[in-house]
Amino acid sequence: MTTNATTTSNTISRLHLIAPELLRSLLPTMIINLLCALVVTYLMRIGAGFAENLIFSICIGTTAMVLIDCGRILLWGKDEPNKPGFLLMLVIFAPLSFFIGNLIANFALGRPASIFTPNQAHNAIGIIVLILLACVGATLFYWNREKMAALQARNVIIEKQAVQAQLQMLQAQIEPHMLFNTLATLQTLISSEPLRAQHMLDQLIHYLRATLSTSRSAQTTLGQEFELTKAYLGLMSLRMGLRLSYNLHLPEELQCTPIAPMLLQPLVENAIRHGLEPKVEGGDCTVRVSVHQDMLVLSVFDSGMGLNTSTSYNKPASTHLGLENIRARLDALYGPLAELTLTHHIPEGTVAQITIPMPALDPQQTR
Amino acid sequence: MTSAPAARALIAEDESLLATALAASLQRLWPTLEIVGIAANGIEAVEQALAAPPDIVFLDIKMPGKSGLDAARELAEEWPEQRTFPLLVFVTAYDDYALQAFDHAAIDYVLKPANDERLQKTVARLQARLAHNSHPGHAGDELERMLQQLRGLAPALMPLQQERLRMIRAAVGNQIKLIAIDDVIYFEATDKYINVVTADSQSLIRTSLKDLLPQLDPEQFWQIHRGTIVQISQVQSAQRDEAGKWSLRLRTRPETLAVSRLFAHLFRQM
Repeated sequence: MTTNATTTSNTISRLHLIAPELLRSLLPTMIINLLCALVVTYLMRIGAGFAENLIFSICIGTTAMVLIDCGRILLWGKDEPNKPGFLLMLVIFAPLSFFIGNLIANFALGRPASIFTPNQAHNAIGIIVLILLACVGATLFYWNREKMAALQARNVIIEKQAVQAQLQMLQAQIEPHMLFNTLATLQTLISSEPLRAQHMLDQLIHYLRATLSTSRSAQTTLGQEFELTKAYLGLMSLRMGLRLSYNLHLPEELQCTPIAPMLLQPLVENAIRHGLEPKVEGGDCTVRVSVHQDMLVLSVFDSGMGLNTSTSYNKPASTHLGLENIRARLDALYGPLAELTLTHHIPEGTVAQITIPMPALDPQQTR
Repeated sequence: MTSAPAARALIAEDESLLATALAASLQRLWPTLEIVGIAANGIEAVEQALAAPPDIVFLDIKMPGKSGLDAARELAEEWPEQRTFPLLVFVTAYDDYALQAFDHAAIDYVLKPANDERLQKTVARLQARLAHNSHPGHAGDELERMLQQLRGLAPALMPLQQERLRMIRAAVGNQIKLIAIDDVIYFEATDKYINVVTADSQSLIRTSLKDLLPQLDPEQFWQIHRGTIVQISQVQSAQRDEAGKWSLRLRTRPETLAVSRLFAHLFRQM
């Protein structure tokens, strides 16, 4: 009883799927109708000319389409139908649509309602076979299209996984230079200034944990990302001394805003590695988050070496793997409106900026 | 350790904590070594070494301004002939790629964080070499040795060959001038720019010789100086003056180009 009841309610709940399905099938069906009319007129040489055959073909073909689509949706929904059941359905529906289509066509031409027309009578079997073939052809077409769509969907998923894998690779790529230099500094501090060494070790642990862990959750908060950035800049400023000054601005109300990990951090590391570390006098790094016209804006300013004018940082290029990964993930996670831009900082240095539409940040919405 | 010679050392290291640490370790292992200065970047390192020539220079490889290797090249090019070239020891935290090349060229290096055991070996080697170089008749050996090491290093550290440059785009005022690569007679590095010289024009492009070099055909363009790359078919003759310095005369331009020590061997056999 219950199974019956659920099957019925399932069938009813599928009703609303029919109309869009019919719309989707309409164009291919019309093309098939046209082909059938051509075959009947010029190959089978029956009927009273192309125009009349086309009318019959349209009526029969469209009826077949409606019957098959309705049957398929009501019995199997959006799932792939089982093949024997579906073929059986075609065998029944082919003659049925022949008779119904004839009725409609005769009515449309103002003739007495009949399931036959006189000159079809001796060719009924041939025509029904033709209809059956057309139905099978249409079905194969339909099945292929579904397969293509499924394939495409899989490709999107694979692409997303590739971006994710690349991210994990980048995450695991802590610059050895940075690590060993930090360890060397620690080694020095341990004997001379144990308290500072302790503090530095804490920051290193925090940084390593956050950066290495491949099992990082897909979401973190801006507050947590800022903690990581603070640990990293703390380490760097111990090493670079007076050459590095930094500022972090995160408004209180944005502390708990969800954000994907490793979007902000690579930009800060770039600012240090490419901007300030190579610069003799060093400089300032400022990280700021704000909301502007319903867009979340993450900005990393540095007063370092500045962008190389001969390369473009805002177009896809294999040489900027880190930037490309950020772009790919922004697109996958927050849609095409989310973007990363690199521009010159006036009077010197670089600004890296990520903008994300606020509504896209909602974890419920996240694709 | 008993007969450790007195010597003067310069340390080039941008992180002051690490510079102090290295100085402290060296004092412990080699008490008679005098640390004459600590340079915070590559530019200062070259300046200080040239101003008050030390016996030993510890060069951090990754420094702002100028890398340790670039500083070494510049020292080798600029060093006054009559003075003994200092012993160079490179210091690096991690650089797999460079270290392989260093081993290959038998260049001295120390890893950070340096342990005393490893540093002790380096100290012993340095002392032996200082003793050797102090014998009369060996004064010029150290420079020649360094030059050979740096030449041996050059191909290994050369960045991967990139796509060949065919056209150079130089901004002149508010228009872009196109210069065919075959028309370039030589490139000359200035502070932040490269001067591109053809038979009848000079234009500035904003890049570095280091970035430019891998995009040029090494058969066609030769580096002859830290700051000069010349199209070799444009060279008419190479001549050597009494001091042993090489210079090149060009076919279509009046000026001559200086060949530095590091590249002089390219012309010796010609």
